[in-house]
This record gives sequence, C-alpha cells and structure tokens, in this order.
Amino acid sequence: MIRQVSIFMENHEGRLNKMLKILAENDINIRSLNIAETMDYGIIRLILQETEKGIEVLKKNNIRCTLTSVLAAEVPDQPGGLSNLVDALTQAKINIVYAYSFLPKKTDNAIIIMRVDDEVQQKAIETLEKISTVNLLDAETLLMK
Amino acid sequence: MYWNKSCECMPREKLQELQLERLKEMVNRIYHDVPFYRNKFQEAGLVPEDVQELSDLQKLPFTTKVDLRDNYPYGLFAVPLEKIVRIHASSGTTGKPTVVGYTRKDITIWAEIMARSLVAAGADSHSVVQNAYGYGLFTGGLGVHYGAEMLGASIIPISGGNTDKQIMIMKDFGTTVLTCTPSYAIYLGDALKKKGIDPESLKLKVGVFGAEPWSDSMRKEIEKKLKIKAHDIYGLSEIMGPSVAIECEAQDGLHIWEDHFIPEIIDPVTLKVLPYGEQGELVITTITKEGIPLLRYQTHDITSINPEPCGCGRTHLRINRLQGRTDDMLIIRGVNVFPTQIESVLLELGEVEPHYQLIVRREGSLDTLEIKVELSEEMFSDKISNLEKLEKRIALRIHSTIGINAKIALVEPGSLPRAEGGKSQRVLDLRKI
Repeated sequence: MIRQVSIFMENHEGRLNKMLKILAENDINIRSLNIAETMDYGIIRLILQETEKGIEVLKKNNIRCTLTSVLAAEVPDQPGGLSNLVDALTQAKINIVYAYSFLPKKTDNAIIIMRVDDEVQQKAIETLEKISTVNLLDAETLLMK
Repeated sequence: MYWNKSCECMPREKLQELQLERLKEMVNRIYHDVPFYRNKFQEAGLVPEDVQELSDLQKLPFTTKVDLRDNYPYGLFAVPLEKIVRIHASSGTTGKPTVVGYTRKDITIWAEIMARSLVAAGADSHSVVQNAYGYGLFTGGLGVHYGAEMLGASIIPISGGNTDKQIMIMKDFGTTVLTCTPSYAIYLGDALKKKGIDPESLKLKVGVFGAEPWSDSMRKEIEKKLKIKAHDIYGLSEIMGPSVAIECEAQDGLHIWEDHFIPEIIDPVTLKVLPYGEQGELVITTITKEGIPLLRYQTHDITSINPEPCGCGRTHLRINRLQGRTDDMLIIRGVNVFPTQIESVLLELGEVEPHYQLIVRREGSLDTLEIKVELSEEMFSDKISNLEKLEKRIALRIHSTIGINAKIALVEPGSLPRAEGGKSQRVLDLRKI
C-alpha cells in the first residue's frame, strides 16, 4: 500500500506555486502528481520521496492535506498492459476512483497509481495479485523505481 | 386621508396621557402574569407602582431577543394558550425560531394599525391590494391581509414569488396597491420591462414596502420602474409585525403608532436613552398587546426619532428610515438571517470550530447568499465527489434552516479574514442599497 499526499486547494493562480515552493524549499522531491479540478477548487495528489516530512511541512504551512492509501501496480509498457489490470478489477466489480501514471526512472515497465474505495481495497489487492502481468508494489519498492 | 383621525391626530398631551395610562396597566399585567418580568422587576428592586410618569419607563428593564430564546416557545406569553388565536415565528439567533402569540384583541389592533398604515400610504376601500408578502409563519402576508380587509379594500392574497402570475394578476385584476419587499418590487419592475409592459398602462398607484432595509435611491428606482409612490413600512414580529410604523404622503420618516407602542432611542453600548434627533438603537414597549407584551424590547435597528410636527396632520412621532443594525443580523429577501444560524448548521454537520463567511450580493435586483466554509481536516476527502456531496449537504441544511438557497464554497484553511480573537469576520454585505 502506498501513502499518497492529498491536498485541497482553491482554484486560483499562485496556489499551486505556493505549495510547490514549500516542498522545494524543504528539499522534497515529487515522484508523481495528479490534479483533479473543479471550477472553485482542486485536489492535488502527490507521491513524495519523503512522505512524512512532506506532510509535516505542508501542515506547518496551514495547507489542508491528508494521507490517502492508494495502490501502485507495475504493468508491461505495451498495448493491453493496463487493460489486463482494469479488466480484472471490472470482473471483480471494483470501481477505480481515480488513477494516474508514475514515471519510473529505472524500469521500462509502466507504473500506475490508483485509488479504490477503502472497503474494497483488500479485495482489489487479492484480485491483482492473481494476475501474472501485474506487479503490486510496496512503498519502498515504488520509490526505488 | 386618515383611517382613525381621532387616534392618529390626537393632541400630543392627550396621547401621552393615554400612553401613561396604558403603560401602567401593561406593567401591572406583566408583573403579575409573566414570571420572567416579575423576576426582572424584583432583581431591580422595582414594583409596578414605580411607574408614575412616562419618563419612569427609563428605569425599567430591557427585553432582548435572547430573553425570547431562553423562554422558548411560550415563556413570555402573558395569557394562557387558550386565549391565543394565532402564532407567528421569525428567525432566532440559533436553530430555534422566535415565537409570538396574538389574542383576538391583538389581531384586531394589528388590523387597525395596518388599515391606518395603508390609508396613510394612499389606499382606501376602493383599492385592489396585491399582497406579495409571504403568507405563513412570517408576519408580512397575514399582517397586510387583515388590515386591508378591515379597510374594506379588495385583497389579493397571492403571496410571494411566481412573477409571471403576479404580472398577469396585476394587469388583469387591476391592482392599485402592491405590497411586498422593496427588492421584489424592483424585480417586478424589471420583469414588466422585459415583457414590454408599460407600467403607465397598469392601474398601480401605490406600493407599501418593508421587511427589508432600503434606501432613498432604491425608492427612486422603484417609483420610476413601477410608476407609483413607494412607502416604507416598518415592523417586527416580536412587536406585532408590519405596520408598527408607516411613511405618510410626506415620505419623510415613519409615524410610529404611539397609542400602541412607545419608542425610545438608546445608546447601544451604554443603554442610556438618547434625546430626540440622535441616532441609536430603537427600543419599543408594547402598551396594548395582550399575547406577548414586551417591555423596552431592543430591536437592534438603528434610527433616530423626529419630534417635529408632520405636514400630514398626524401627531405620532416619526422614526427616520433605518440606518442599519447593531447586531450582525442580515435581511436577505425579507428573511432574517443570523450568522450563528449558519454556525449551528456547520456544528450539526460535525464541525468543531467552523470558520465561515457570509457574502451577500445584489445581483440585478435579487439578493444572493454565498457561504464560504474553510475546509477542516475532518471534512476533507480526496474524492471530488465527496466534496461535492459535502457542499450539497451543507446547502440543503442551510436551506431547511433559513429557507434560502445559498451557494456553498469550500475554501482553504486560514483563507478567511480573522477578526480579533481569532473568530472569522463573518459577514460581508456587498449590497449597495
């Protein structure tokens, strides 16, 4: 299971900049980022190299953030790679709340970050563990990729 | 034109004699029939016999909206429920409304002063009165209704809203008098224009507008849009409802019906009575009301008293048009809204220390309410759909509490301005009235 930092932010110029500067000043590297926006606000989802330190400095700066538990799966970077994974979850009637890509530096495979609802998370893990082309990653492994 | 000339034009000396007689009788009644007042008198070391002159009123204790809340719902009633024939309610400062009860005599007096008020504004028994105040717990609808009936005018109890129907009826039924909130009057004027109806082609002559603060520039706008004379009417449910005071044809201040109400202006901080002409908080004592007589009720409305004789011949004092409030009550589309009501909703939804801000705007002629709520840790979910659900849930609860559709905007923690003591500055009224 991967701990993702989720941040609430009003949809105005400068807000993202302020948050990114805080991370930069504290020497925290962002490994992956996803932004979901509405007209008035957005949610920024980050995988940080140093999660604890990241959440600490964000909170210290009064930025509304929380840890969310997400899954990271390594799949072959080829046609059908992601489809196999989603297909298995679909068969198990598990909905993906959101998903985004993680850019690995040390592998040719693709890595996908996804969130499923908490109550089906265990079932999702069990489902994916059965698929030979999907490799579920723990935090330590993910951040070394 | 007068409805009750002998009362409305009573020489001041005689009027004050009548006030003193009624005040003594009222003080006696509340002392004996309302434990709340007896306690207050005893705490202050007072007995009813201490009232020998009108100026003795200044020695007596005040009544506040908090007293009404603490004695919710019927604690300040001076008669058993059996004698109460009607109950109205308005917004309280928290979840519970402010409740008032009327005896049959109260209803008759209310109708009488409403009839006086309508006549002072130019109505008569030939008038066709389109009453677009809301009917219900709000005193506006039924208050005008009974007065217009007593006057013998033809009342159309259309209630608020449904603008197309309002205009159809105004045209087809030959409405001559319109009663509603001033902002709705502007809205109707704009709607007429959009439909290409020339207000000159209507029979509309007079408007009686209240339940909301409005300015002279709004009056000009309404008079131009509807081609009428627009009169301000003042009232509050705690005291009676609309028709506590009315603007006569002079349109220069509102005559307060002094044979039923004694007005005072106090310094809202020191609570000392201010001389005529000085601006302060309006305090009203009801001297004839049976159901819920109130002694020196603090209205929180800011105005001043004009003692000069009026050209219309009425001898009753005039209060100037309202200048604002001493508390943070907002009036939005005729509805009283207290920030604390919003706070109660947020607390109910599990907020521990809600930070929020009410922003009122006038868009076109309608007031809108936006509520900014700082997103707390407990509220935060990283699913957009959850945040949207949260906004809807807040909006729904707000609507069921104050009856107004508010736009809810979730904002970042710490983004709302803080007043001293760390509490958010809770109200931003951007209306230009």
